[in-house]
Amino acid sequence: MSLEFEQSNPNPETQPLEPPIPELQPVSSTPSKSRFPSWRLWLPLGLQSLLILSVPAQAIYTHLTGRVVILQTAPVDPYDFLRGYYQTLSYDISQWETLEKLPGWKELVDQPLAENFSYPPSGTRFYVILEQPKAEGKNQQQPQAWKPVGISRDRPENLQPNQVALRGKSQYLQVEYGLENYYMPEDQITQVNEDISRAQIDLDQPFVVEVKVDSTGRAVPISLWVDRRNYRF
Amino acid sequence: MDKFRHQLRKEVKIWHAEGLIDDSVYEQLKARYQLDALEKAASDRFVAVLLGLGGILIGLGAIAFVAANWQAWSREIRVLLLLSLFVGVNAGGFYLWRTPAGNAIAGTQTWRQRLGQSLLLLGALILGANLGLMSQMFHLSGSVYELFLVWGLGVTVMAYSLQMTALGVMAVILMAIAYWSGVGELFRPGEPTVLRILLEHFPLVMAQFVVLAYWCQSKGIFGLAAIALIPALSFNTALLPALGLTAAVKSSLAVVLPPFLLWGYDDLNFPKVTGRMFQPLARTLALVFLSLVFYSCAFNWFWLAVPGSSGDSQTAFNQILVIDIVIFGMIALWEWVQLAKPSRKRLRRWRLDQTSSALGGLLIVTAGVFLWHINVYPIPTLATFLFNVQLFLLGAGLIRVGLAKGLRGCFWWGMILLILQIMSRMLEYNTALLLKSFVFVLCGAGAIAAGLWFERHFSRKGFAQEDEA
Repeated sequence: MSLEFEQSNPNPETQPLEPPIPELQPVSSTPSKSRFPSWRLWLPLGLQSLLILSVPAQAIYTHLTGRVVILQTAPVDPYDFLRGYYQTLSYDISQWETLEKLPGWKELVDQPLAENFSYPPSGTRFYVILEQPKAEGKNQQQPQAWKPVGISRDRPENLQPNQVALRGKSQYLQVEYGLENYYMPEDQITQVNEDISRAQIDLDQPFVVEVKVDSTGRAVPISLWVDRRNYRF
Repeated sequence: MDKFRHQLRKEVKIWHAEGLIDDSVYEQLKARYQLDALEKAASDRFVAVLLGLGGILIGLGAIAFVAANWQAWSREIRVLLLLSLFVGVNAGGFYLWRTPAGNAIAGTQTWRQRLGQSLLLLGALILGANLGLMSQMFHLSGSVYELFLVWGLGVTVMAYSLQMTALGVMAVILMAIAYWSGVGELFRPGEPTVLRILLEHFPLVMAQFVVLAYWCQSKGIFGLAAIALIPALSFNTALLPALGLTAAVKSSLAVVLPPFLLWGYDDLNFPKVTGRMFQPLARTLALVFLSLVFYSCAFNWFWLAVPGSSGDSQTAFNQILVIDIVIFGMIALWEWVQLAKPSRKRLRRWRLDQTSSALGGLLIVTAGVFLWHINVYPIPTLATFLFNVQLFLLGAGLIRVGLAKGLRGCFWWGMILLILQIMSRMLEYNTALLLKSFVFVLCGAGAIAAGLWFERHFSRKGFAQEDEA
């Protein structure tokens, strides 16, 4: 079905319905060497490669320059673990109850905010200050989780040597650090999940995540420590 | 073709032996159809099949090997492998596709070119896979729309460079997926990253595909891009907050702007374009859009659901959207000025042709009803009535144009609109069963009678015009 309405158009100089002009001839049927010099492949291909590499660029920077920090995970509904090929991770500091108790919370919530809403509005950026635990027993096989000691809207300037600032974002009543997904191979997901469930039931053997935090506060997950076992993918 | 050549070779030998043709004609025929090269072509093809089979087996082996070792390799090796696969497939595809057609019959693609084109398409798919795997390997938690948007942009660049329709179509589809998977993000505040800005201005981003459609001479790209662009434009205009625009203005613009744009589209407004390649398609799409709008607005519940004089929640985060509306509005206005401009035919007279003025009238009434209903006073009953009248006028107008110009599709489209309208009103308002049956029968009989009349009326005239169309 095709409807032709061109007759109703008043512009007479447009009447002759000529075939397309030569310079826009269809070429896909007979491409030739002269029409398609090599740069017509390599230029867009280079751009596409740059696009591919730009995806992990920030993560690579964080990997190279970041500092290792250990984060305590929060108990998660075991049925919520598995989403395709990745583990959904939730941390102690992903919960508002933890953040509420930190010094600096009042200032974060006091600033422009809707009334009768006790959390920062969606899209608010903030920094959580984490401190390395003091007594790190040498005989312990599992690293100790860092403790949150403060929260602020702006990046804190004068941090102690044993502190880092981790950038977070409030997103629909949730907290996001960009550390929420951990991809792992399909055949090992079940085993890791079982380990995590066991570790979370028995609180003495906690489940912590090793991450790297760079100077801007961005972070990438490195590996999981579950029940003294280290998973790195 | 080859079958014919084989047969011809046999026949030519016989003709020569029987003395039907002399030596010179025999040689000429042999040279013209390259009959001596037939054996070589056959053996070439055999070699190609062998090579292809071997290639597939080696490829499968390589995939199995990679899958077996994937976890054992370091991330650097994996990235390197993915990138070299990506570059290799694209480069192989390009150089195969580019090979000159040689002595093949002009206009047909050789197997090399076809294989090359498939490899280039595969390369575009591998681009997406690479983007996804990169984000997975580094445990990134980005949105799906970002992946599709970056992927679509990458493929668009390649489509422009290689002037290849298949890649262009793929890019349009990827962009559409990106928009619909990410449009929810626009309703929540977020940082203005490049990708988010592109998503916000999706209709403007899609408009560049019109250039690609000319570049590739492809109606497919144009049509698909319009189908992706128009709903997005309506949706953004109607639902997202824009600086200084009330809900009434936004909803009437969302309904009226797309058909104005599409109906006013004229290829000749572009410099260097001499043929009306896409105008019929654009106008068809305008009528499809209008049919859908009129049909939905002819239901009474539609007007009961549209809130009368609703309060606007003006939020600061994406007021920039007003730019899209202004730009597309200006384009539509300019297109219609071009339609009405004095031309060689009617010197110094500003006038629209009949169809365009009728359509413009319908659109102005539509915008007016929306404005009045939302801004001034809710008029659900009157609006329903007016839109039923408009739907009827559209259907009748299509039938009339179909009859006048012998366009079968146009005639039947109008017919179906009218029947749909009557049926829907019957089912919407609780009418007696007997009346229902009467109307159904009447509709059916009317459709059959009109259809038969139309087909007979024009079969006498012949469908020469339609064949052109």
